[in-house]
Amino acid sequence: MIRITNLYKRYHNHHGSDWVLRDINLEIPANVSVGLVGRNGAGKSTLLRLIGGMDNPDRGAISRDCRVSWPIGLSGGFQSAMTGRQNVKFVARIHGGERNLREVIERVEEFAEIGAAFDEPVRTYSSGMRARLAFGLSLAFDFDVYLSDEATAVGDRMFKLKASKAFRDRVGKCSLIMVSHSEGILRELCQAGIWLHQGNAIWFDDINDAINAYHGSSGAGTKTK
Amino acid sequence: MKTRTPWQVTRSVWYALFMREAVARTMADRMAWFWMIAEPVAVIAIMVAIRSVVSGGRHIAGADFVPWLITGLLGFFLFRENMMRSLGAVESNKGLFAYRQVKTVDPVLVRCFLEGMLKTFIFLLFIATGILLDAGLTPANPMAALFDWISLWVLGLGVGLTLSAASSLVPEIGRLVRIITLPLLIISGVIIPLNYLPHDFQQYVLWNPIVHGLEHMRESFFPEYRSLDGVSLTYLWFWALSLTSLGLILHLRFEMRLKTQ
Repeated sequence: MIRITNLYKRYHNHHGSDWVLRDINLEIPANVSVGLVGRNGAGKSTLLRLIGGMDNPDRGAISRDCRVSWPIGLSGGFQSAMTGRQNVKFVARIHGGERNLREVIERVEEFAEIGAAFDEPVRTYSSGMRARLAFGLSLAFDFDVYLSDEATAVGDRMFKLKASKAFRDRVGKCSLIMVSHSEGILRELCQAGIWLHQGNAIWFDDINDAINAYHGSSGAGTKTK
Repeated sequence: MKTRTPWQVTRSVWYALFMREAVARTMADRMAWFWMIAEPVAVIAIMVAIRSVVSGGRHIAGADFVPWLITGLLGFFLFRENMMRSLGAVESNKGLFAYRQVKTVDPVLVRCFLEGMLKTFIFLLFIATGILLDAGLTPANPMAALFDWISLWVLGLGVGLTLSAASSLVPEIGRLVRIITLPLLIISGVIIPLNYLPHDFQQYVLWNPIVHGLEHMRESFFPEYRSLDGVSLTYLWFWALSLTSLGLILHLRFEMRLKTQ
């Protein structure tokens, strides 16, 4: 379970700084996958980074009594001059996986299916290949909660199927907290939803309600599609 | 599953970073290994050439010029590389801060450690060659020389820790440091013996802690060598420990800003 109490967050800049997240109180139960929705800049990625421990809240606290992955996303997490294999080795070592290093590498290589590019520097990868590698890498470790920041957005059809299958196989063992603008994938993978709106976070037990609330706020014009 | 202790996490981060940095440093471009040794050799050859043309007659009391120059240059390189490698350490490892286990000090510490190991290896190579050629590059007081070497390394680490944080917060600092490295080489008495300076200037030159490390190391190498009055390792260690503490404080205080910006 992840418990967020009285959380405030803002970024400091030169022209005054408004709260990005204001007085957030949430309890995310274990084994419930949650989708985060909200407009650009609403603080979805910020909340994800805070949950992942990459950033500290200005006020309030987050307690997690489970193993939480790093936010799996398009940017960051890889050193672009190193090859895919070296990146995987590095991450495995950080997480104390020196002993089953070979096994981890095999699992990632198998999941990512990027062939010979696995031994090329990450900077030569397309965004889809990056996403495959990032996703495969995170699946090689047994986290209780996976954080995903648009990680599946650029993947092709096969990859999306594979990613959702990987999570369906793990239902009951782990859950997912994901940021995505693709509603199909949110509906498919998540049960509950959080709608971030004007610094507040509103919890919905059903992801469809969260998406509907988000659509309601963004006006009828965008709802027609 | 059991969770790891903070020390275990830190150790595995250091190990992972070390393996990564070591590969990047030695295998990055072809001939990286060759240049690591050829670069100091080339610099020394050029310096010797310049010296023999420009100011041939002068000699250094108590030491041959070439061994004197080698100890100074390699000692200075040890300091300089610690400083320069640290400058880019935070920036170039930005992607890895996505893993909350990696702190901003880790790449700096690992780079300095790696640089120290490489430079020590190269220095030992020079000393071994010096012994074979009977060039007088054997330290008269090896333990003292080793301690002086370590002192210079710690000074470089302190400067590196401080500058790595400071230059990420204020990018102009990094630019400034790159500008002053060459003048630093000259005012640290690496090429031109500071004894030639008028006494009035010597006291200002002695504000620079690098001078103390280099001159002390030369005294440990060459028993006859007469250095400046007032050379003291204690002064260097004041600088080294203050800067190390300052650097660690900066990394602790501005951790989030260093990670994100």
